[in-house]
Amino acid sequence: MKSLSNYLQSQRKRLSLSQEEVGFLLGIRGMNKSAKVCRDEKFAREPSLLDALAYEVIYGRPIRELFAGLYEQAGQDVAARAKFLSFRKLRKPDVRKQETIIQLAAKAGVNSSNQCSKTNLFVF
Amino acid sequence: MFKNKSVRILAIAPLSRGLGYAVMEGSNNLVASGNKVILRDKNAKALAWVNRFIQFYQPDVLVLPNVTAADTRRAARIKTLHRKIVAWAGKKKVKVRLVSVTQVRTRLLGEPKGTKFAVAKTLAEKFPVELGKRLPPKRRPWMSEDPRMDIFDAVGLAVAFWPKNK
Repeated sequence: MKSLSNYLQSQRKRLSLSQEEVGFLLGIRGMNKSAKVCRDEKFAREPSLLDALAYEVIYGRPIRELFAGLYEQAGQDVAARAKFLSFRKLRKPDVRKQETIIQLAAKAGVNSSNQCSKTNLFVF
Repeated sequence: MFKNKSVRILAIAPLSRGLGYAVMEGSNNLVASGNKVILRDKNAKALAWVNRFIQFYQPDVLVLPNVTAADTRRAARIKTLHRKIVAWAGKKKVKVRLVSVTQVRTRLLGEPKGTKFAVAKTLAEKFPVELGKRLPPKRRPWMSEDPRMDIFDAVGLAVAFWPKNK
């Protein structure tokens, strides 16, 4: 199962907050504070880093849980790039760098969904 | 039956006023629930909502009530809508599972007989944060059914989908 892009709506409902209240807590100015929150919840917009951190403070959950789908996507992308990087020939072989790249790819592989294991993207 | 906890299910309960929906990831994680009241052109609008839910939540399994079961009576319109939803899910390549009312009662109350309110109360106790405030008052003989019961119908289907030991 691929995670949803974010779980902002379910977390907001868990705390019985309205979109307008969350918009106020995020520091959104203007008449319709709820519009921005609504767009975040409906995956129409990816919030800025500052907003994402604010969401973490409001809902008391880490960003990787709140934006699970995005986190998985980032993990897959990083792993794919790490794999690419591991194939690169270095003039001076650096063991620590090599280990870091392999660990990064493996770590991202553990956190990603079943879809990744199907493609064997992280198997070295 | 699905044993994998990492399965997202969308339960839809088509009813006379519209439909109730519930999204679960695993047997104890209720991601979303609600109801949509539809007044005119009910089947077309309900189907549009189902399509929207499928696109938004991308479920692995669609859980629907078994409208052809012996313990169920449904209007012809709802049976038609049910067939359309099953056909639509087939087009979208989403697996469909049918759950009967008896299965819901057996799963939640421990016996095949019981009232909708008893089921709703059990669900409100199981998910106090998500559903606690949505539990309507007990229906009296002179009262119409509360629209919020649609939510509990859908959540009941979703919960009954999972095996009991989970």
